[in-house]
Amino acid sequence: MLRGALVAICLALLPAAALAAGKTHAVRIEGMKFVPERLEVAAGDTVIWTNRDLVPHTVTASGARVESGVLAPNRSFRFVAKKKGEMPYICRLHPVMKGVVVVK
Amino acid sequence: MNTSKIALALAASLYGLCAFAQGGPTDPQIAGIVVTANSIDVQAGKLAKSRTKNKEVAKFAQQMITDHTAVNKQAGALAKKLHLKPADSDTSKSLKAGAADNMKNLKGLKGAAFDKAYVDHEVAYHQAVLDAIDKVLIPNAQNAELKDLIVKVRPAIAAHLDHAKMVQADLAKK
Repeated sequence: MLRGALVAICLALLPAAALAAGKTHAVRIEGMKFVPERLEVAAGDTVIWTNRDLVPHTVTASGARVESGVLAPNRSFRFVAKKKGEMPYICRLHPVMKGVVVVK
Repeated sequence: MNTSKIALALAASLYGLCAFAQGGPTDPQIAGIVVTANSIDVQAGKLAKSRTKNKEVAKFAQQMITDHTAVNKQAGALAKKLHLKPADSDTSKSLKAGAADNMKNLKGLKGAAFDKAYVDHEVAYHQAVLDAIDKVLIPNAQNAELKDLIVKVRPAIAAHLDHAKMVQADLAKK
């Protein structure tokens, strides 16, 4: 009985846990661009930027206080989107590079 | 020699790559040109960073140091992997000679005159390198990985050119 109840609780919690983990989205940094430049995600989703360029880059959203630090080639930066709305960001080293994450 | 003359000589030396037209530079020569072209801009960037008082010029110079050092690191690693020994060519030699002239010219300048000379040269230099990439280096590279490296470098050079033009326009307003 007790065991059955525990299983039921676990099963009930599973989808919630899966939801909380959210989806994972990949953004490539390539050819001095963020690809895709505009990414729509749900709150709780994870975004992973990977630098596929020859030169170092950053993912910097000063408004949202997000800063990847300098990403050498083939390094990644992981970010969990929490706050809904638009999060514009740039590469601090190459301010002409712009992207936006839209959290829905 | 004034800046525009240097820029012209530089463009001529890179266009001189077309002298290869019949034979085209070999892969070791292309690797040599890539390494030389990057090193030159790192050196100019270091001088500019130590000399300029202008924040935008300093930022641009730092970006040149960071990016061209990074590209050379990858180019060096690829050359090693491919057992490609970067070789000198008339082009790499004239690039070096042009760079020596530019450094000599810059070392004699200060303040706004220095900033203008440095940035003007960077605009001309990146334009010339971009032309060389499109007309000589990519068409002649035989090894696929070497060609791919140059293709991947191109957007960085194009972005540097845009950035240099932005700083140039800014300096002209002052």
